[in-house]
Amino acid sequence: MQPRRTKTLFVTALLGLAWTVGIAFGLRTLLAYESTPGTIGAVPRQWPSTSQIERLTNRPTLVMLVHPRCPCTRASVAELAQLMARMQGKVDAYVLFLKPRQSGVEWEDTELRRSAAGIPSVTVLSDIDGVEARQFGAETSGHTLLFDRDGRLLFSGGITEFRGHVGDNTGVRSIESLVNGRTPARTATSVFGCALVKRSQEGDKPGWLK
Amino acid sequence: MAKIAEQSLQSNGWTDRADELFQQHRQEIYRNTDQLFARLMLFQWVAAIMIAMIISPRTWVGQSSYIHIHIWAAIFMGGAISVFPIWMTRAWPGAALTRHIIAVAQMLMSVLLIDLTGGRIETHFHVFGSLVILSFYRDWRVLIPATIVVYLDHFLRGIYWPYSVYGVLSASPWRSVEHAGWVIFEDIFLVISCLRSIREMRFVANRTAALESSEQNFRQIFEEAPIGMAVVGLDSRYAQVNASLCNMVGYSEEELTSRTPSEITHRDDIDKDKQLTQRLLSETTRTCVEKRYVRKDGEIIWATRTACLMRDESGKPRHYLAMVEDITQRKKDAVALEEAKNEAERANRAKDDFLAALSHELRTPLTPVLMSAAALEQEPGIEPELRRQFGMMRRNVELEARLIDDLLDLTRVSRGKLQLLFSGPVDVHSLLAHSEQIVHSDARNKSLVLRLELTANEHHVAGDAARINQVFWNLLKNAIKFTPAGGQITVRTANPTPGQLVLTVSDNGIGIDQQTLPFVFRAFEQGDIRGLQPCSGLGLGLSISKAIVELHGGTIRVESAGPGLGAVFTVELSTVLPFPEAQIQASRPRRFTGKSYRLLVVEDHEPTLAVLTRLLRDQGHDVMPASTVQDALALASDHTFDFVISDLGLPDGSGIDLMMQLSNDYGLRGIALTGYGMAEDLAKTERAGFLAHLVKPINVDQLHRVLERAQVAAG
Repeated sequence: MQPRRTKTLFVTALLGLAWTVGIAFGLRTLLAYESTPGTIGAVPRQWPSTSQIERLTNRPTLVMLVHPRCPCTRASVAELAQLMARMQGKVDAYVLFLKPRQSGVEWEDTELRRSAAGIPSVTVLSDIDGVEARQFGAETSGHTLLFDRDGRLLFSGGITEFRGHVGDNTGVRSIESLVNGRTPARTATSVFGCALVKRSQEGDKPGWLK
Repeated sequence: MAKIAEQSLQSNGWTDRADELFQQHRQEIYRNTDQLFARLMLFQWVAAIMIAMIISPRTWVGQSSYIHIHIWAAIFMGGAISVFPIWMTRAWPGAALTRHIIAVAQMLMSVLLIDLTGGRIETHFHVFGSLVILSFYRDWRVLIPATIVVYLDHFLRGIYWPYSVYGVLSASPWRSVEHAGWVIFEDIFLVISCLRSIREMRFVANRTAALESSEQNFRQIFEEAPIGMAVVGLDSRYAQVNASLCNMVGYSEEELTSRTPSEITHRDDIDKDKQLTQRLLSETTRTCVEKRYVRKDGEIIWATRTACLMRDESGKPRHYLAMVEDITQRKKDAVALEEAKNEAERANRAKDDFLAALSHELRTPLTPVLMSAAALEQEPGIEPELRRQFGMMRRNVELEARLIDDLLDLTRVSRGKLQLLFSGPVDVHSLLAHSEQIVHSDARNKSLVLRLELTANEHHVAGDAARINQVFWNLLKNAIKFTPAGGQITVRTANPTPGQLVLTVSDNGIGIDQQTLPFVFRAFEQGDIRGLQPCSGLGLGLSISKAIVELHGGTIRVESAGPGLGAVFTVELSTVLPFPEAQIQASRPRRFTGKSYRLLVVEDHEPTLAVLTRLLRDQGHDVMPASTVQDALALASDHTFDFVISDLGLPDGSGIDLMMQLSNDYGLRGIALTGYGMAEDLAKTERAGFLAHLVKPINVDQLHRVLERAQVAAG
């Protein structure tokens, strides 16, 4: 009886140790992934002249580029909804949803798109094959850019501080400051979301799989 | 209440059992809650995977998608978090370490779920819900590691990834304290709840221990009861029996519980037994019956079976409870006692018969002497000295008769059949004078001074004059007997309070020691009382006197300062108003002056018959003597009589039979004159038709008085 008990104790200790180490490692990995931002392309300083989107000339224009199926971008759209509510018409926004040319209607028919369409002063458009995204230098879903009435870039980056987490963040605060004529804390932030395009030199897997 | 129960338990030494029950209950709760968490962990694991699959199933790179890291996190981290505590519930169920690991794992599951839902505030409720579920352990200590995990999670995230937990870019270190504070806020109430639960569990354990002990006591009482006890089901089968019943009927417990009471009941008692059982169901709550059981070895035993019907809370009959007491020995003892009693009664009757015969035989020879002496004493014209001598003869015969009467009286006293003949107010002074006259010569012969100081104004009492006279005579005789020559005896009467007469007979005789005083009024104690050589008499007088006085509602007592210092006997009686015509004149000789009767006198004792015949004829009666039943019947057939005066014991028959025949044939009434004076004898003569029963010896005056009363009674 006693040896069996000792063996069980030993197994318990081993399992406990493994349990502790495993959970610590798992949490560390998870948090590392969630805190790792996506890539950012070559962002233009002026509104791209080749862009098919009509820029407003009487107020700042906000552009968010979104992968319609990215779960992390739900937080960005949620932040956008709050931002637009606080702006009270001082700014208009375009949310451009990536749409491969050969994809069907179901590609865009997502909860994310419906959420964005429901935000006041927000125009939802499809970005066929990510043409607009490339022009705006956006490579990560949720990338948001703010241009003034003259087409100058005021802000570029994400409006969440953590992958998939809503909450107070530098991006939103900076946009608010810029629209209200104040000096922003930053004009560029990290973007957390799915990749909008493949970058051949990094492979086609998300960062945490590499 | 719990405290009182606990004190009670401690006083009864049941705390060990209460502790044991408490620990068992607590361990059961630990194990049950372990199992609950094992299932919950599995459920949460699956739920985490489902959540990840719904919220973030895939991550995208352009048009390509891959399984989202949350899916892998839900599978592997959820599994890692769950599997170890589940394994612990199997390997160490109920152990403190198990529930502490479960507490940590549950909080880690909260961390994972919060992360999987993107830090949704709603998911934070999982933390608070988990704490509540952890309190199911009723062990407040498990809240400690849970709270520490929550605090550390918030603290570390607050430092390194504040946005992941607070939704802000930077958080004050106090933010984690605030979060932990809310958790502790809940912990406080959960701890209170746990402590209350523990108190209640302990109270329940105490109560259960008390109940167990009580039940054990009752079971022990049932099992070890010295009388047979059984629980009988409504199907009339023994459900439970104790050892005493098994021993009583000779069956083992197994044998008995497979039988019905009827199967071991004597066949003559079965119907009665069933009727009583039916009565229990319908009428009464308890029955008690003496019945017979047939033992396994065939022996029949008697038992008292008391049964009652036990009902449940709703009043529905549940079973019978029977208590069986073996009374076989008692029955045998009762039979033996009855036989002994009958034997004693037979012996007593033989004794009574002997006493009656003895009395008869002793009295009969005295009758002619007494009657002659009494008649001669009253004869006019004889010398005074001669009259005194006849008087002395009469008194001594009466004394002899009294000794015989004492023997009979003692028998009556012992059987409670001493009866009084109340004749109206009795003058105690007259009786004392009469008694003094009787004993005067005895006192004079011993040179004793006998003084009467009768100062009571109220000196009449209600009672039987003859019996009261008997008391006084006994007291005087006693005083004379135990007072040496030259001594002094004083009789005093007084009324210390109105309505109370106190009579004292004091002497300066040999006295009585203190040890003997309590036995003075016991029969046959005379010889030991005074420490002298046995004196004349049987030692019955004082005992009979006490009975007579008490029958009159009075008291009698004796006092003595000690040996050689004399004794004082005191009689206290209640007085009544006197009637002048009721004055006793027992001492005055008188002659019968009534009418004459035709008398048939039947007596087999020739001297008695001769004297009686002569005296009655001298009184003017027409007397015809007969000495046998046949003679008497012959005379009755040839002559007419007013009364028959008959002895009971006759050579050719009984005076009883004679009287019955004479009464039937001639309507003759009679007076029994016999030496038999027992109560049974008086009853017999009354039933036979005798108007009066005179016990020998008698004097003519008595006979005259009885004749007068008989005449009145006969009409």
